[in-house]
Amino acid sequence: MRRSLQLLLSSLLVLGAVFAAPQASWAYPFWAQQNYATPREATGKLACANCHLAKKPTHVELPQAVFPDEVFKVEVEIPYDTSVQQVAGDGSSTGLNVGAVVMLPDGFKLAPADRLSDELKEETAGVYVTQWSDNDPNILLVGPLPGDQHQTIVFPILSPDPATDSAIHFGKYQLHVGGNRGRGQVYPTGEKSNNGVFNASVAGTVQSVDSGENGGSVVVIQTADGNSVSDVIPAGPSVTVQAGESVSAGSPLTNDPNVGGFGQLDAEVVLQNPVRIYGLLAFFASIVVAQIMLVLKKRQVEKVQAAEGI
Amino acid sequence: MHILKKPDLSDPKLRAKLAKGMGHNYYGEPAWPNDLLYIFPVVILGTIGCLVGLAVLDPAMLGDKADPFATPLEILPEWYLYPVFQILRVVPNKLLGIVLQTMVPLGLMLIPFIESFNKFQNPFRRPVAMAAFLFGTVFTIYLGIGAALPIDKSLTLGLF
Repeated sequence: MRRSLQLLLSSLLVLGAVFAAPQASWAYPFWAQQNYATPREATGKLACANCHLAKKPTHVELPQAVFPDEVFKVEVEIPYDTSVQQVAGDGSSTGLNVGAVVMLPDGFKLAPADRLSDELKEETAGVYVTQWSDNDPNILLVGPLPGDQHQTIVFPILSPDPATDSAIHFGKYQLHVGGNRGRGQVYPTGEKSNNGVFNASVAGTVQSVDSGENGGSVVVIQTADGNSVSDVIPAGPSVTVQAGESVSAGSPLTNDPNVGGFGQLDAEVVLQNPVRIYGLLAFFASIVVAQIMLVLKKRQVEKVQAAEGI
Repeated sequence: MHILKKPDLSDPKLRAKLAKGMGHNYYGEPAWPNDLLYIFPVVILGTIGCLVGLAVLDPAMLGDKADPFATPLEILPEWYLYPVFQILRVVPNKLLGIVLQTMVPLGLMLIPFIESFNKFQNPFRRPVAMAAFLFGTVFTIYLGIGAALPIDKSLTLGLF
């Protein structure tokens, strides 16, 4: 009895989660977080590119060098034309969302709120940055955010201090930045979203294009051996084939409604020791003095040469 | 073809210069000690300063750990090998690729012999050597840019 009650309760819970959880709160970076231990594959590809198939530019701005225990900002720019709209999950058109991932070098992390300057607080207002996982405080995620207000996403970063953490060393390190706008074309399970091209599953002749469930359509294709296959197309992409048209397997049945895309790039930052800068300036000064002395000595020798008539 | 370039000792102007210890120097100063002892160290110190400054301000980075099982998505050698990489990439035959690679040092070996009989060091009075140099430079840059483009655009640079 107790056991069956437990079963009933747990299945109710699962059903509730499936139906009640609104789709928007299953935010897109969340899927990547669940499926990949790290967002970067060994080849350098970021995991976002597995679902956001189109390529669009992304820019990043950050300082060339930072001192230890300093707050600086990494600005990720995700430019796109805000006048265009994408198809939503139900086929209606909405504005684009943006999201970004920043993989910092080991030891770098999100700056705590009490370290932010007033200017930085203003720039990061309304942007909720999450960590990739509890073990990776150096991998930061943002999104989805409404893209018309957040084409530039500011990440406030705190640099580590080699004096307090012996695992950190001064030097140059690599950052990996990805920026995305718009919905993906594939779900992590491998299913297509309605924000992409739908292709004919078989070769044959289009028998009919009927309207399907929830504003979608069904394309019925008759193959050469007389079977008819129906390809279900959800609301979103518009069907470009007509009845009587012959299609080959894999040829597009719809247009491509996708207007967004993903872009990634690598950047570099130097964790700089202030003592080295002072040493360098002193070294430069000594070089300049030595060069001036050499030129003065040469002028002196030239006078001797002129006197000797050379 | 003259292999050795000898000074023309019958030229009285050259003999007068050599007597002052100036040899082929154009701008009328003895090499020792004016140049070698004073100006060379100025340049050497400047060069060391530049290198140390770069080493401190922009140190070399350690990249990703080597992983023999992770082939990069885009295969490219170091930037200075782009032009010869492009030769290997666009040539359909491996043997032809090796022959063309060999031609690069062989072609460079020819340079001292082209117009070596010309006693003028003015490049505008050595048209053959100048033309070979300019063509080689432009062609190398063209190959280098092509190496960074997809293979279908690499010969036209996507311009045509």
